Amino acid sequence: MKKINLEILEASYIYDKEQIKELNTKELVPKMVTRRRLTRSAKIAIYLASKINASTQRIVYGNAYGELNATQSILNSINNKEQISPTVFQNSVYNTAISYLSMLNTNTSEIMTVSSGDITSSNILKAGAIKALDKDEIVLIVTESLNIDHIEDMNSCIEFLEVGVALKVKVTNEENTLSFDNNNDEKYPPSVVSMLNIAKNFNKEQKNIITICL
Amino acid sequence: MTTKNNVYITSSTSISCAGNTNDELFSNICLEKTGIKNNKNYSYDSNPAIGKIISDLSFDENIIQQCQNILENSNLQNFENTLLIVGSSVGGMSNTEQSYFKDNHYKNVNTSKHNIQSIINTIQNKYKFYDNISFSTACTSSANAIGYGYEVLKKGIYDNVLIVGVDSLCHTTVGGFMALGVLSNNVCKPFDKNRDGMNVSEAIACLLLQTTKSQNCVEVCGVGYSSDAYHMTQPHPDGSKNAMKNALKCANINEHEINYINAHGTGTMANDTSEAAAIQEVFPNTVKVSSTKSITGHTLGAAGAIEAIVSSMVIQNQTIPTSTNLRDIENENINLSTKTTKEPVNYVLSNSFAFGGNNCSLVFGKVK
Repeated sequence: MKKINLEILEASYIYDKEQIKELNTKELVPKMVTRRRLTRSAKIAIYLASKINASTQRIVYGNAYGELNATQSILNSINNKEQISPTVFQNSVYNTAISYLSMLNTNTSEIMTVSSGDITSSNILKAGAIKALDKDEIVLIVTESLNIDHIEDMNSCIEFLEVGVALKVKVTNEENTLSFDNNNDEKYPPSVVSMLNIAKNFNKEQKNIITICL
Repeated sequence: MTTKNNVYITSSTSISCAGNTNDELFSNICLEKTGIKNNKNYSYDSNPAIGKIISDLSFDENIIQQCQNILENSNLQNFENTLLIVGSSVGGMSNTEQSYFKDNHYKNVNTSKHNIQSIINTIQNKYKFYDNISFSTACTSSANAIGYGYEVLKKGIYDNVLIVGVDSLCHTTVGGFMALGVLSNNVCKPFDKNRDGMNVSEAIACLLLQTTKSQNCVEVCGVGYSSDAYHMTQPHPDGSKNAMKNALKCANINEHEINYINAHGTGTMANDTSEAAAIQEVFPNTVKVSSTKSITGHTLGAAGAIEAIVSSMVIQNQTIPTSTNLRDIENENINLSTKTTKEPVNYVLSNSFAFGGNNCSLVFGKVK
C-alpha cells in the first residue's frame, strides 16, 4: 500500500441540520444575476473557498448525491408533463457548485468532481494527494445539500442535511501529526465525514500533517 | 507531472447504439451507418433522434458483460489488483425516474441505485477491485476518468486501472437538453453550417490501462485539463484551446505531430463554432478533424471513453474516419475529414467538453 503525507494548510467547515443560515453570499457574489442562479451547494462551496483563501489552485471537489434540488425539480416537471427549466437543468450536474466557484474566481485550472457515495471525501483526499505529488497546493472541497421536499421519505439516519468542508493541502515528507477516522456519531452525511473530521481537528497554531493510504 | 511509467490501453470493449462490439462501432463509423433513431419514449411531446443500445441484456447486465469482456481479453486473472474508475454523468438516474414516475413519491427510491456510485455498486456485486473512485463532470466524466487513470499509473500508484465510461438514456437528460433547445430530431451534423443540434445517446465503454505493453496496444501519451471559468453552458474557445495545449505539453509532442483530432463535435451551434475556433488556433490546417457523434450520438458521461476507443482504433487501423452528414462546412480553416481514408497515424487527440466549462483533451499514440 502506497502512502502520501499531506500538510493541511487551511481548513474550514460548516453545517446545519436543515439549512445553513449565513453563507455571506451577497458579499461574496455581488452580481445579483449570478447570485440568483447559484445552487445551495454552490453557495456553500463559495463560502468555504473564501474561508481558506482559495483562488486559482487546482480543485478536487465532490458530493455523493449531486444537486438534489435541481434533480427533484426536473423529476416534478417531467411527471407533470411540464417543460423543464433550462437553468435548473444546467444546474443539475454534479460539478455545478464548483463550476460557479471557478467562474467567480476566474479559475481556469483543472477542476475535478468526485462522486463516490459514502466514501466521497475519502476519495477526494486520495485524488488530492495524488494530484499534490506535482508539488502545487490543491484545494479539496466536499458539500452535501440534502434538504429537499420529502427528504424524510428517503432519509432516516442523516441529521445534518447541509454540510461543507474545505481543505487546502500540499504534499510533504514530514511526519504525520494528525490522525483522522470515519467516526460519524453525530450523523453527518457519511460522504463528508473523513474531511470533516480532519477539519475539526485542524489546529492553526501547529503543523497539521495527515497520511493518506492508497 | 511526476513521471515514471508509460501507460497503454491493453484491452477495450464497448456497447452503444453504433454497435455491440468495438469492431462494429469502428466499422459503422467508417461506413457511415448511424445508430441514431427517432424515439418518443423519453418525451411526451416530441420525437427526438437519440441513440439507444439494442441488446437482450438489461443495462446493468451489459455493464457486467463489458467488464467480463475486459477480463477475458487481458492478462488479468481477476480485478483484485486493479483500480476501478467510473466516469458517469447521471449514474442510476433512470432507476430513480422509474420508481418516482410509478409511485409519485420517493419512498421506494433506492438511494444506493440513484447516484454515480450505483455503477460501482453494480460492478462490485460481481467483481472485487483493489479500490474504486468515480468522477462526474457531466460530458467530460469518462475523459477525466481516463486522465486520472493515466496519472495514477504514470506516477506508479496502482498497477492496473479499469475505466468504465457509462451513461444510460433517461428522461432527465433527453428532456433537459430539449429544454436547452439543443436536441435535434435528425441525425446530428457536427461542424455543418446547417446543424440543428445534438443526439443524446447511451453507451458503456471500458478500457484497461496498464504500464506494460500488450499486442496491438495503444499508448495514452498525455492529458490536458482546463476550465473555461466563463458560463455554465456556453463554451469559451480559450478553455478548449488550453486543454488541447496542456495535453500536447503533457505528451511532450508538438501540434504538427497530431494526425487526427476526434472532436467533441456535438452538433450544437455553440460547441462546434467554439471548438473549431480553438482547433484553428492551436493546430495547422493539415491535421484532419472529425466528430463521430453522428454515428454514436452524444453518450454524455461515456463519450470520453467511447471516443478514446475510437481514437485507439484509428491508430490500430491506420484509418481516419469521415464526418458523416457534413455537407456545408462552417469553418473552412480546419481540415474536416470528408471521407474515410487509410493513412499513417502516429498520434490522435480526443476532445471532451462539458457543462460548467470543464474541458479534457487526451493524446493517444502508436506504440513504438
